[in-house]
Amino acid sequence: MKTLNSQVAIEGKNIVKYFPSGETNTKVLQGISLKIMQGEFISIMGPSGSGKSTLLYILSGLDSPTSGSVYINGTDISHFQDEKMSRMRRQQVGFVFQFYNLIPNLNVEENIMLPLLLDGKKIRDYRKQLDHILQMVGLLNRRKHTPRQLSGGQQQRVAIARALITNPQILFADEPTGNLDSKTGLEIINLLKTINHEYGQTIIMVTHSPEAAKSSNRIIIIQDGLIIDNESGASYLQSSNIYSPPMSSGMFYGHEQHQA
Amino acid sequence: MFILTIILKYILTNLKEHKLRTSVMLLSILLSTILLFVSLSIGASYESAQKKMARGMTGSATISVTTKDSATGISLDDIPDLPEIGVKVGIITGSAIYHKEGYYESMDLIAAEIKALNQINKLRLVNGEEITDFSGNQVILPDRFTSKFSIEKGDLITLQVKGMPVTFEVGEIAAYDTIFLRQTRGTTALFPLDTLRKLVSQTDGYNEILIEPAKGVTTAELKNALQNNMPNHIYDISEIVNEAQIAADARQKSMPFFLISFFALTISVFIIYSSYKVVTLDRLPIIGTFRSIGATEKEVTKVFLFESLIYGLLGGLFGIPIGMLILKFILRGIGKTLSNGIEIPVIISPLSIILPFAVAMVVSISSSWLPIRRASRLPIKDIVLGRVDEKHVSNKATILIGIVLFIISIILPRIAPKSMLYPAGGFSLLGLITAAILNIPLITNLISSGMERLYEVIFKGEGKLSARNIRDNKNVTQNIALLFISLSAVIVISVVGNFVTTYIIDVFHGAELDGLANGDMDQSFVEKVRNMDGIKKILPIYIMENSVQANRNNLIRLEATDNLDWYSSMFALNYSNGLLEQAFYEFHHERNILLSENCMDRTGISVNDIISLSYNGMEYRYRVIGSFKSRATDAEAVIPSYYATQDFGMQTYKLLAYTAVDPEAIIIQIRDLFGETPNWSRTVKEFTTDALATVEAFLQPMHSMTWLILLLATVGVINNLLINYIQKRRSIAMYKSVGLSNRQNIQITLLEGFSSGLIGAVIAVFVSYLEIQTIFLVAGPKITMVPELKHSTFILAGIAGIVINLIGSVAPILKSHQMKLVEEIKFE
Repeated sequence: MKTLNSQVAIEGKNIVKYFPSGETNTKVLQGISLKIMQGEFISIMGPSGSGKSTLLYILSGLDSPTSGSVYINGTDISHFQDEKMSRMRRQQVGFVFQFYNLIPNLNVEENIMLPLLLDGKKIRDYRKQLDHILQMVGLLNRRKHTPRQLSGGQQQRVAIARALITNPQILFADEPTGNLDSKTGLEIINLLKTINHEYGQTIIMVTHSPEAAKSSNRIIIIQDGLIIDNESGASYLQSSNIYSPPMSSGMFYGHEQHQA
Repeated sequence: MFILTIILKYILTNLKEHKLRTSVMLLSILLSTILLFVSLSIGASYESAQKKMARGMTGSATISVTTKDSATGISLDDIPDLPEIGVKVGIITGSAIYHKEGYYESMDLIAAEIKALNQINKLRLVNGEEITDFSGNQVILPDRFTSKFSIEKGDLITLQVKGMPVTFEVGEIAAYDTIFLRQTRGTTALFPLDTLRKLVSQTDGYNEILIEPAKGVTTAELKNALQNNMPNHIYDISEIVNEAQIAADARQKSMPFFLISFFALTISVFIIYSSYKVVTLDRLPIIGTFRSIGATEKEVTKVFLFESLIYGLLGGLFGIPIGMLILKFILRGIGKTLSNGIEIPVIISPLSIILPFAVAMVVSISSSWLPIRRASRLPIKDIVLGRVDEKHVSNKATILIGIVLFIISIILPRIAPKSMLYPAGGFSLLGLITAAILNIPLITNLISSGMERLYEVIFKGEGKLSARNIRDNKNVTQNIALLFISLSAVIVISVVGNFVTTYIIDVFHGAELDGLANGDMDQSFVEKVRNMDGIKKILPIYIMENSVQANRNNLIRLEATDNLDWYSSMFALNYSNGLLEQAFYEFHHERNILLSENCMDRTGISVNDIISLSYNGMEYRYRVIGSFKSRATDAEAVIPSYYATQDFGMQTYKLLAYTAVDPEAIIIQIRDLFGETPNWSRTVKEFTTDALATVEAFLQPMHSMTWLILLLATVGVINNLLINYIQKRRSIAMYKSVGLSNRQNIQITLLEGFSSGLIGAVIAVFVSYLEIQTIFLVAGPKITMVPELKHSTFILAGIAGIVINLIGSVAPILKSHQMKLVEEIKFE
């Protein structure tokens, strides 16, 4: 088991994001600053339209802030050109989406190996790692299947495996259980927990589900483009009965809390 | 009903928005309607012009009546008044020779009542005026003749009539059309009736009466009526032309236009179907929304079908008038040629209007019906939740059907009986295209597997990915299918078009011949030519016309040679069942004869028969050692020279064929050698140039149409690339989300474009080769020429395919640069 260390994995400084909305611009993020330490499992929560997904995309480099900076391992990525940013995405971060985002005509193995191929790596050097990851996500016997031959949960496992193949320090997940039933959702969250616990990977997850959020060791609550709670999110979770949680209650009572 | 109105409003707004995809789809329907209309109309016009040319001077008359005793004329009163008769025209004929600067031109002289003649074949003067005051020593000549010898209206020309020089004034110059059209060498000249009567000493009656059947009466009925009402021992009543043969020949020559129609139809079906597939997928959320608020399956299907009906209607309504303008433009474009040559009658039949219109409607509706029906049957929940995946059809069954269809399509035209060749050929063409489309996924997967290994070595990960992306990718296979159809259409139309052009113009195609001299020649003449500088091969030939009978059948033309090997190559003889080397050797040593296939069909003689050749009351037994087809000679029979002199007393050569370093220099010397002796001496090049001047008008529309089909094919490919990008957008976003850079995207997209272009081109080249085989297997029994398959046509088409695909990759590359990554990824 790996433990948290005190190094900063990601830091956001005064992140502002505008989106054009008709003839005016809507300020979605109003100057967010945050620090996420290596090995943390963070959940970002908040009402619809609060800006949580936008923050996640900006932190991961998939989108750029209107102003402000994002540091990954101490490097400001806000001004990265396409080539550098793509390399960063390939090597330092992994991403899990709500709708899996697998390439439909590639099989499980090929989808997982995609970041390696793009990084010019020789596939044969990563065979062992692939087998290990496939075993971890429980898809060893499905390696030649195409996405359409898999269930939603299995597809999300492939997406997680793809995010892990380059052994990135940070894993971003945007509502990874949002498209799954409660049982499968639980499996995916448990898998993320294992990855965080066993390999010490930093995980930043956007979720609507309080149960899923309870698995993380810190919950950040965003509302109207601002962080309103950066610690436990307790008050938010208490009022979370405004949501319809996808998972049955009492699902994640056994999770461990890590101290920052 | 309320929902129906809402959906209708949505569709109309959609149409109004002029989305690029809607415009491309409309353009493809419009273009295919135009192309179908123009190709059908030109095809019909062209067929009609070919028939007109084949009928020549007789125009609409189909029966000729002459007296059995050629010394006696025939009067118009000799023809009984029968209801089957439409128009009857008395014709006086004669012959003459025109000689200028070594050129001898044989002339057929004709005269008739101009008023009556105009009824069966209206004269067309180049100045567009009517003939007035045509009498005395006047002559009307075709412009093809006058321009060749620089003769103007009002000039005087001297003709040798019955060996005597007679001078005439050129009264008018007519277009090389109607009565002046001919399929044989020489020129037709029209004289005032009384003038020619005197010249040929035909004081009363005519040489021939031409009769046009009354409306609704067939030629056979007219002939029957005449035979029943006229004494058969006095009159010969014959059909002027073989209508069925003319129709078959004309159809063959207009084949490229109908091929263009066929491919235009195939391409448009594919474009419209693939467009609808994507449009429907794109509209699934809308369909889901409408269904969720109470629209029934039927209502959704009906309304979306209505939308396609609007496309079809717009295509049809605008396509036909635009097609008429283009038709006019194409025909006007060749107007200058027309004034000197044959007028192509513009035929816009009801069929050529109704068919493209109906096709636009039917193709639009049927292409949209399948995807729309599928979409409207989807569970509402799946549509609303965005869980609709493209149905995965079993590949094995499709591939098996494709392979079986492919084999049948290749075998069928080869085993079909003659009477079934056309339907078999049609099935084979459609079958080959369908089989190729069905097997494209398999072929693409096989080729891309090989490419994956190769590209990985050359282009590393990006290369491997680009090749891998092609495999099992419906968008790519669809793109390859359309590219293949478009390219094969261009290849087949080019090859067949070129073939028809060569077939019409170059009767000496494939003949190792540079020039021909036609006139009386003795041995010393031949030796003088043999000794001319630069002569390579020289072949003197005896000719006997209408004087020898084979098994009592008149041989129209019998030729004799002492070198069958050279004769075969110089006149491009195509031996029907091959001719053994032994037969070549034996030919000169015994009384052997070769017969043309037409002659064998006419006389019922077969190879290996011993036949009797009779001449001047003597009979000689000859063995038929083979049969041939040739477009370069009219000979019906060929025998060894030795026996021509022995049996038929031949002393003077009539024809001299040669090959030379400088054919023009030789022909000038030959003309000089003939001196005042009438002769017809031309180089093959001169002959072909003459022929080209006549048929140029025919060839122009064919080239224009080939460009139009290329345009349709390009629109199709652009449409497909656009569709491809729409479908691919999300997948590019997915790649980018895992670290694909713009540089890598450019590399992968270009490699994908190149590879799919290459696969499409390879399939197109292969299938179009098979299609050409099918076309010539069907047309083969009637033609004597083998199609020339130039590698360059195939290679250029292949390169064009790759280039089109590469150009098509530019838009996706540019668009993906501006892509809003998060939007693409986040929304399913």
